[in-house]
Amino acid sequence: MDNTSNTTPVEQVIQMSNAISHKSGLRYLAAIGVALLVVGPWIFDTYLLNILVKAFFMAMVAVTVDVLWGYAGYLTFGQSAFFGIGAYAAGLIFTHSGFSASNAIIAIGAAVVVSMIVAFVVGWLSFYRGASPFFATVISLVLPIVLVQLTLSGGSWTGSSSGLTGYETFDLTVEAWYRIAGAALGLVAIAAWFIVRSDGGRILSAIRDNESRCAYLGINTLTVKTILLVVTAGIASFAGFGYGAFSGVVAPELGGFVLGTELIIWVALGGRGTLWGPLIGAILINVVTAYLGSSMPFAWQLILGASFVLVIVLLPQGLVPVLLKPFGLGQYVHRIPHLAVRETAPVSDLEKTTPAILMEGVAKHYGYLKVLEGIDLKANRGELVGLIGPNGAGKTTLMRCMSDGLDRSAGNVSICGNDIQLLPPDRCVKFGLGRKFQNANIFESLTVAECLRIAGTTRVTPSLLKQDKHLTLPQYALDVVNTTGLSQKLGAVARDLSHGEQQALELAMVLAQEPRLVLLDEPTAGLTKTERTQIGNILSSLAHKYQLCCLLVEHDLDFVEEIATRIVVLHQGRIVMEGSFREVVNSELVKTIYSGASHAPMETV
Amino acid sequence: MILFLDIFTTVATLFVVTAGLMMIFGVMKIVNFAHGALLTIGGYTSYVVTQLKLDPWVSWPLALLSGAAIGMLVELSIVRPLYKRPLDAILATWGLSIVIGQLIVMTFGREVQFVDAPFSGTWPIFGVEYSAYRLMLLPAALAICLALTGLLNGTRFGVKTRAVIMNEDLARGIGINSGRIRFITFSLGTGLGSMAGALITPLSSVDPNMGLNWLVSAFMLVMVSGHSMASLLLTCLVFGTVQVLISTFLSPVLGGLAIAVLAALTLRIRPKGFGNG
Amino acid sequence: MSQAALQLKFVTSGYKASVVLRDLSLKIDSGEAVALLGKNGMGKSTLLKTVMGYLPKMAGTVHVGGEDVTRLPPYKIASSGIAYAAQEQALFADLSIRDNLRLGLEKESTFDERFALITPIFPVFKERLKQYAGTLSGGEQKMLLVARALMMRPSIILLDEITEGLQPSVIDRLVDALLWERKEHGTTMLIIEQNVPFAMKVADRYLILKQGEIVDEGDTKADKAQETIFSHLRV
Repeated sequence: MDNTSNTTPVEQVIQMSNAISHKSGLRYLAAIGVALLVVGPWIFDTYLLNILVKAFFMAMVAVTVDVLWGYAGYLTFGQSAFFGIGAYAAGLIFTHSGFSASNAIIAIGAAVVVSMIVAFVVGWLSFYRGASPFFATVISLVLPIVLVQLTLSGGSWTGSSSGLTGYETFDLTVEAWYRIAGAALGLVAIAAWFIVRSDGGRILSAIRDNESRCAYLGINTLTVKTILLVVTAGIASFAGFGYGAFSGVVAPELGGFVLGTELIIWVALGGRGTLWGPLIGAILINVVTAYLGSSMPFAWQLILGASFVLVIVLLPQGLVPVLLKPFGLGQYVHRIPHLAVRETAPVSDLEKTTPAILMEGVAKHYGYLKVLEGIDLKANRGELVGLIGPNGAGKTTLMRCMSDGLDRSAGNVSICGNDIQLLPPDRCVKFGLGRKFQNANIFESLTVAECLRIAGTTRVTPSLLKQDKHLTLPQYALDVVNTTGLSQKLGAVARDLSHGEQQALELAMVLAQEPRLVLLDEPTAGLTKTERTQIGNILSSLAHKYQLCCLLVEHDLDFVEEIATRIVVLHQGRIVMEGSFREVVNSELVKTIYSGASHAPMETV
Repeated sequence: MILFLDIFTTVATLFVVTAGLMMIFGVMKIVNFAHGALLTIGGYTSYVVTQLKLDPWVSWPLALLSGAAIGMLVELSIVRPLYKRPLDAILATWGLSIVIGQLIVMTFGREVQFVDAPFSGTWPIFGVEYSAYRLMLLPAALAICLALTGLLNGTRFGVKTRAVIMNEDLARGIGINSGRIRFITFSLGTGLGSMAGALITPLSSVDPNMGLNWLVSAFMLVMVSGHSMASLLLTCLVFGTVQVLISTFLSPVLGGLAIAVLAALTLRIRPKGFGNG
Repeated sequence: MSQAALQLKFVTSGYKASVVLRDLSLKIDSGEAVALLGKNGMGKSTLLKTVMGYLPKMAGTVHVGGEDVTRLPPYKIASSGIAYAAQEQALFADLSIRDNLRLGLEKESTFDERFALITPIFPVFKERLKQYAGTLSGGEQKMLLVARALMMRPSIILLDEITEGLQPSVIDRLVDALLWERKEHGTTMLIIEQNVPFAMKVADRYLILKQGEIVDEGDTKADKAQETIFSHLRV
């Protein structure tokens, strides 16, 4: 069923005019850029051309910093280190081995390869399960310091604190360098632009917004971040090589902490997360610094520092976007795709008989505190199991043990016949598990359509260059989107949705993965009566019509009574009863547990 | 013997420099990247005292006061709005340090300056002659440690501060004005940073970038050490010793890197560092 | 005319985009003890947190003793005479018992006198002031919470599931403590409970909260009270 997004006509007109002004604003910028590139050598004097070449190389690095920080959320002071490696590759090889075409190629190769290796090590150090973003920033700080110290201690080989100068390099005029550097910058910027705006590129922002949700959608975020770091390191290094080859001088400051912080300042002032903002900002600041550097060096640095502080505190979106807003460049317009059905893979006979989830002897302790003990649980396709129990019974812990191989202390868990062993969530999910969290766990800054598309990553790999006009979802996910009205809000940013809509979005996202088993943690929390009825119908049809296995933790027993095929009661970490709703509700045991007439003392640490 | 003295005086210096940063990090969970600039301000306070031909001992309390005054302004205008954005707080305080640095250069110029030490010469100790001023850092560090520990453990303000460190929401719920605690702590931390600058200046010299070299080491030490003065002392002891040993027996360059690299590795292996979290 | 000790008028609050309490109004008179009952996830804790100022009120007002506290930050509300014990993480585990108790006081100097008041009820703390609160057993920790609240000499006490996980003997102590407090000082109380018998003993009145709204209320000493309550909490 093909569905065009139906916003009101007025909204459509506004959207279109925003899109046009945004697109045309960008096109004007690009046109100006190309024009300056072609015409520059005739209107700029040699001094300015010189500065611009260097500024172009710096801007290339600034673009990489924006991709890492503005898009992927990784605050790094370390891109300067890769720039320095590139510059020194030029300096060292040309100084000690002379200049030649083959040497140049070797130097470029060395620059890029060494940087990528270093970036890989940094990635391994910084991005690991449970790492804090703070720690990654700390490592990025240490990197340039270490490299600079090593350079300083290199004696005459590296030129120590004075660096290397006077080596022979490419025999090109300033004008030629200008065109080459400008073109390289343009290519890098355009490539980055396409990638961050592509469907695949939105995953970067998804990781920034909610890394755990990405993991539970089957995305290996650690690998993505490391690859990103390695690629941007190579680009920064390439820019460094260009800088070193052009200027004929390399010094330790080119790879240092101060340059690393300056890059952050240019990106912040230029507008993090826009790409063109940092590009323009970096060029402008470098040019102005060069000119004012002799006449009022301290006042200019002061102004920059003060602007930086002001921007961070008051204007996090940056100065350049604010200045260019009248030209319509302030808004980012989201493409709204058409929805379509995705055929789900047929279920084999073997799958029909294998339990969706099988837990044997599962336990979880924190030191002496036993949260779960002796859990044996089985659930099949088409079942809708309600997991109930008082607070502290261990329900959410049970869900965690099902979805994360590292969580449990003992026992075995199999999802659709696959033993999850000690696998992290992104691997468990690939066995057919979908987990819906209690708080709407979505990507706040992305649109509904983008959230849904990223959710389907394991099934339909998003392109790294294009924006697909179509968004395919399995029928049951499509049902959720249509019933809850999300189909009319595909272009809305997720954080602007109401609580009920966010819950529905998360459910649709989980279903977009085509799971066989769906874990739901209090799906009705905070919903209105109408929303609860809707969700109830949806969950019922998931189990009965589509034969998924649903397991839900719930406190609202009226809700559970309507839809569950089986109830499991958890109390103080053990399954104390299983059966139909009627059986469970009428049992003495359960009445006792819930009435609070007997409270056995909790085992404490 | 000289080696031991080098180690202990280095540890003392590290502690003195880091104590202020630690107070701020412990209570407010943010890293004050302007700490290097504060060290520099302390150094230039000593320089001003020298220029005005005042008694050099005056520079310590003067630095403490000027640092605290600056801290009060900064807390209200920059840190408070960024309470919920700790990574941005690092950036904003870094920007502030650039501003301070430039103001210093505009006022005093870029050249390296020298200050009068409250006393100089060497003292005989355990059979060797050792720089008297360096030796004095040991009791100074101990005094600061005792004063801060006494403040945190012995006063009502201290126990309130520790409560805020442990669980700010709970502290607010029983009537503690955590905003005021943060304000006072920040000012105390910046005052200490400035005073540390005045303390260490006589060891070398004063220039606009002197604080920068200390910033990263101080930052890494604070990251590793957790949330108490005792664990900070322990961290300084361990890392300071390693730094001196590497500098002496391997190379000064590697020694300079020792703290940063070791701290990074420690955090990777044990994210809580030496503290209890 | 006496001011109500605590009055909520059409309060709407919740977390981010999710509304938990809708248009909720309630009034508790000075000296009353009210039990807030209801199944999990119905908004009971949210109500206390809203009164304490931890959650912004999207609509409505909260008055304590006649004064509007709707926009006040938590520390001011606490200092205005409300003692609040949250369900989780309500103690400083790494501070001593003495520190936990004295932090709630306005003036340090009143410690000895106030402590002497509560030692008859909770003699277990008398010799153990230096012990770390985290090393106490679960029951002792809850007793410490109540002791801290009593020492604050508050006008209102808010308790969130104070009996959770406790042995019957400890629960009995708490009943005694709270009844003593009511008799000696007439302190107003609002307690959230899953343990209905406990609530019936301590409170005069009960309110049933469901999906963020008050659906029933009554006198705890009335004939059919227990039955009515159980029918709402029915499994």
